[in-house]
Amino acid sequence: SSGINAEYGVARIVNGDMILIYKKSQLILHILLEAKRQRKQFKVMVVDSRPDLTGVASCERLTAAGIPCSYVYINSCTYIMKKVTKVLLASDALLANGYVLGPVGTAMIGLIASNYNTPVIVCCETYKFSERVQTDSILYNELADPDSMLKTLNADDSLVAGWRESPNTRLVNLVYDTTPPALVSIVITEIAELPCTSAPVVLR
Amino acid sequence: AVVSTQSTGKKISKDTVSRLEEFALYLRESKKERRSYVSVVKTVNVFRDLICTSEWVTARELIKIIKSYCKYLPLSQSNETDVSNVVRRILKIIREENAGSEATSFADGLSSFFKSDMKASSIGRPDLQDNILNSIVELLSELETSKSNIINMALEHIHSNERILTFGHSNTVRDFLLHGRKARDFEVIVCESGPSLKGHKMAAELSDGGIKTTVIPDSSAFAIIHAVNKVIIGTHTIMADGALRAPNGVHQLAMAAKYFSVPVIVCAAVYKLSPTHLCSYDPDAFNKVIGPENMLNFSNEKLHSKVLISNPDFDYVPSDFIELFITNTGGHAPSYLYRIISELYHPEDYDLDNMCVEAVEDDICI
Repeated sequence: SSGINAEYGVARIVNGDMILIYKKSQLILHILLEAKRQRKQFKVMVVDSRPDLTGVASCERLTAAGIPCSYVYINSCTYIMKKVTKVLLASDALLANGYVLGPVGTAMIGLIASNYNTPVIVCCETYKFSERVQTDSILYNELADPDSMLKTLNADDSLVAGWRESPNTRLVNLVYDTTPPALVSIVITEIAELPCTSAPVVLR
Repeated sequence: AVVSTQSTGKKISKDTVSRLEEFALYLRESKKERRSYVSVVKTVNVFRDLICTSEWVTARELIKIIKSYCKYLPLSQSNETDVSNVVRRILKIIREENAGSEATSFADGLSSFFKSDMKASSIGRPDLQDNILNSIVELLSELETSKSNIINMALEHIHSNERILTFGHSNTVRDFLLHGRKARDFEVIVCESGPSLKGHKMAAELSDGGIKTTVIPDSSAFAIIHAVNKVIIGTHTIMADGALRAPNGVHQLAMAAKYFSVPVIVCAAVYKLSPTHLCSYDPDAFNKVIGPENMLNFSNEKLHSKVLISNPDFDYVPSDFIELFITNTGGHAPSYLYRIISELYHPEDYDLDNMCVEAVEDDICI
């Protein structure tokens, strides 16, 4: 189904676009590579975040295909958002109340994009639609390995490396977060393009 | 010598010259970790030296000497706003002492800010110098007590069982929270502030001080902020309209806080308040971009020289996102800062390159 989905997504990309993507997603990369195959001229801004830094792999795939890329951490998202024309986000689920469950940081990007009036396009296959409802990111989430937050790119150890011995320190590494529907412009699936709030309609 | 005295035509002693050059070198070489409190105290001492040892007769000449020295300091770099602010304070002290008993009061209204206060004063150099040095001693004691004035307000702003969110590392905020810990029990969540990971240092210091601390990656800020009671951050500089030049990542945090109506409180001493505005929305005019070695390994051959990596050091945070400033002069709303600026600095000194002290006695010089 991701082949057909790519068509709706690819149609959204026009020449001269600066597209922002977040971390690594098979679907989004598929859309961008397909758009490149169709000879569209665009640039990509890859936003990445710690601790897993999967955006690097995204960058590698895109540069290998000849798409000009830029790379920033999520902290600098406000710095670069003015140059961005569209935001293309992947999701892990679309909840019945319209909230988008995605990799942690997606909501932040959606917020920044709305503040700068940049369209936010969420790509979600219909099998990801869920009848669950959720309004916040904490009640139901997953915790990833906290020790991965200790990895640093320079030689120094992180200063909280001894956190397990310290009774007062905790590391929390969330996996998902929920993006409110108000921050999303459109959701692209393989059967249609629809607003976030239409999720329960598709479920029926 | 680096310091030229040609513009003033007066001699400065060799001792002073070497101290001035040392100070200029200190500013040029300082690394990012320079503590602003240490630099401002150094600045005051260096300029106090300059006032005592240089040859001047009128306040106007002294101001010209100080401003011509400032041309040799790297003050236009965004890192050095605290030093520029303190120099402006000293210049204001000089102008006030020179005006003496005819000091302008607010009763004269706004026009008094534009009148030249460089009238030939009846106070001679020895008395004027004494007055200036006394005021500088007061300034130094104000700088010394600025941290304790801020942290003493901790108990007014932190209550028990609160969850406070902070970002990266700030000496002021750390001491503020540790002071609050003495009487209240609360939790702190620290955003790690990648790629420099200063948040880790903050978390280590806070938990050593007995505060329950949680470290989260910056991407999780939106996810947890609705469960937080307030956001307390430090800043590098406060702009004249109440906006911030803060570490990279604070703008998005403030956006998330505003979305959930969580108050954002900024703890900063008043020497960080700069009478400058954001001159252009182009981030490059305001920001400083540093090396990306903490973001991506240089050894990654697939991306090496093919990808544009940005690692800006600062963030511009507009004043609408800030709820309260806690400074050593008390708590202020962002809309009140213009008043504090008018008390601390003279308009002629907003631009330190402006050597317009040439005004004839009663002319208005802007």
